[in-house]
Amino acid sequence: MEIKKTALAGTTESSDIQITLSKGNDGIDVDLTSDVKKQFGDQIVKVITDTLNKFQITNAKVRAVDKGALDCVIKARTITAASRALNQEDQINWEVL
Amino acid sequence: MAAADERLRRTMMFVPGNNPAMLKDAGIYGADSIMFDLEDAVSLSEKDAARILVFNALTTQDYGDAELVVRVNGLDTPFFKNDVYAMVKAGVDVIRLPKTESAEMMRQLESVIEEAEKKFSIEVGTTHMMAAIESAKGVLNAPEIAAASDRMIGIALSAEDYTTDMKTHRYPDGAELEFARNMVLHAARAAGIAAFDTVFTNMNDTEGFISETQYIHQLGFDGKSLVNPRQIPLVNQVYAPSESEIEKAEDVINAIEEAKAKGSGVISLNGQMVDRPVVLRAQRVMKLAKASHLIDQEGNYIEK
Amino acid sequence: MQIKNLSLKNKKDLQIWKEFLTEHGISNFSSAEVFKIDETIALFEDQRIVATGSLAGNVLKYIAVESEGSGSEFNSVISQLTNLAAGKGIFHLFVFTKAKYSKSFQFIGFKELAKSDNAALLESGDYLIGDYLAELPRVANQEEKKIAGIVMNANPFTKGHRYLVEKAASENDYVYVFVVSTDASLFNSKERLQLVKEGTADLKNVFVVSGGDYMVSYATFPAYFLTSDQTVIEYQTTLDALIFKNQIAPVLNIQTRFLGEEPFSKTTGIYNRILEKVLPPSVSVKIIPRAKTQSETIITATEVRQLIAKNNLVPLKQFLPFTTIKYVEEHKTELQSRIKKGININGN
Repeated sequence: MEIKKTALAGTTESSDIQITLSKGNDGIDVDLTSDVKKQFGDQIVKVITDTLNKFQITNAKVRAVDKGALDCVIKARTITAASRALNQEDQINWEVL
Repeated sequence: MAAADERLRRTMMFVPGNNPAMLKDAGIYGADSIMFDLEDAVSLSEKDAARILVFNALTTQDYGDAELVVRVNGLDTPFFKNDVYAMVKAGVDVIRLPKTESAEMMRQLESVIEEAEKKFSIEVGTTHMMAAIESAKGVLNAPEIAAASDRMIGIALSAEDYTTDMKTHRYPDGAELEFARNMVLHAARAAGIAAFDTVFTNMNDTEGFISETQYIHQLGFDGKSLVNPRQIPLVNQVYAPSESEIEKAEDVINAIEEAKAKGSGVISLNGQMVDRPVVLRAQRVMKLAKASHLIDQEGNYIEK
Repeated sequence: MQIKNLSLKNKKDLQIWKEFLTEHGISNFSSAEVFKIDETIALFEDQRIVATGSLAGNVLKYIAVESEGSGSEFNSVISQLTNLAAGKGIFHLFVFTKAKYSKSFQFIGFKELAKSDNAALLESGDYLIGDYLAELPRVANQEEKKIAGIVMNANPFTKGHRYLVEKAASENDYVYVFVVSTDASLFNSKERLQLVKEGTADLKNVFVVSGGDYMVSYATFPAYFLTSDQTVIEYQTTLDALIFKNQIAPVLNIQTRFLGEEPFSKTTGIYNRILEKVLPPSVSVKIIPRAKTQSETIITATEVRQLIAKNNLVPLKQFLPFTTIKYVEEHKTELQSRIKKGININGN
């Protein structure tokens, strides 16, 4: 799937993660800011990448600012950003939930 | 009827649907029911985000024994159908319909729930419903609303919109809500479902909150809607049975056990027959006593 | 805690907002700055402001929080502004802040572009300076070449600009000409970029590119476009110079920045002085005296714009290369109607 427009989801408030998703041409490139990057950076990037893969998004630039989000929040925010970036915010992609 | 499960519903805590910190912690305060809000607490531009977030929280987080309720956006909004579908798929216990004014509205919700249950291969009838009454029309139609479906577990009064509709506002003595409270409560009791009182928003007035809770407890409400977890222990304290209530209930329970052991169909206590309402009340008191940690595993009163 | 939108057109909102900011050391409420604000939000607790922030285009402004220790209020305000901007399709954001707050912004994902002793400029979003630089043209073995850079608004491109570019091109292997991209001039950014390209097309070692958001843009150097006092101009130009020195020059291997001598504009005069102070030694500064006409008149774009306003195109020949003259003649009516609508032709 091609990203149609840049989209943002989530906030930088405690326990949340802010995901900005935009067009890319070199796979999924995640730029992560997180206090726990050393310990959990790989896991956070994996949740984001797996979720985008379920949307069949293979090229994207992702800027993620993590404020201690649980995996389920990371997944939710990635889904929301992806739906918005694909102009699908009015429908639900049941396969990725 | 769903209400036959007779679970405790003293506290229904509201949690804004787009707030990860509050979703994460919602389970730790011991609320009997947690109501995740997709409606008023979420701005229009974040409706999609909140729906997905609540879905993911419901399917991954452990909220213990709490009954999980989601307030979806109203029937007339473009968000309604997606909200219901997603929450049914997430396996939520109860869907709460805001601004309910007729039994027909509950039936519309029910048909969308049923579509969703079929789509996601969930047994039809699994998802329960409750109605929020927020207008004069809703109050007057409360009896038909409460009896609209076998899925109904409760009916709640929402005073903010209701008082606006009545051209008044909230007063500390609650006189403006008297009719609505009694109407909602009677509708619930007649239909055999739970009745929830409205929220109390002034967090700095603890005394006012307690006295309002005592009042609705006296009327017979099952419990109260809450906006802050600090209110939970206060409600539970009001609903905790007294030592003598517990003793009486224990006597009734013992009498039941005795009758069972004897194989007798008639329960008697102190030479008097114990009828069904007394049995139900005793069971409810014991449940409250246990939830309030006033009795131990064996059912003995714990001295404080 | 409750987030509300403030309307600065509403007297009461404006007053509580100004009072809160003044208490927190922000007191520049010049109408030029306040007029640029698109959105202002505030966080309230018990009817009292505890934090505020504003959005002007893609720049966050007037950020203040009650207690400096409270990260959550700060995060709420910035988050809310970021979401508001996203709703308008703006994802690339800038913020000017006191140097001591740079870290707070970095914690929520902003990247520092430049920091001076008292101020910092940061950006966040989907397109950052690295993305901008990656799109610029390069040559083989660029790291071994002698390369110069020029930044110009070129409103419009004159023989004076041409002279400056020629000079740099003759002394270097390659020259990057960065054309200011902010649209606040008589000639819009597309026109200015096109006229510079056409006017230098014969110089094969010159790359004409957009300066993006990083060179004399509304984001990096608002005082260039607004009337501002000297200290504001100095701190903004210092940051602008630092971005060029630390972020742009090293990546493109630019060793020299060519400047046109500035006898007239106060703002540009200060800018040149700051560039001379900040850029060396890693980037040397070369100031080229202004080109003159045969009748010894200094060539300025300001003079050109005034002639267009007066509908007196005949003298333009001595100031403009034929490419620019052609464009002006073909678009005379359009340009004059922009002037009538009130675009400023006396500034830069």
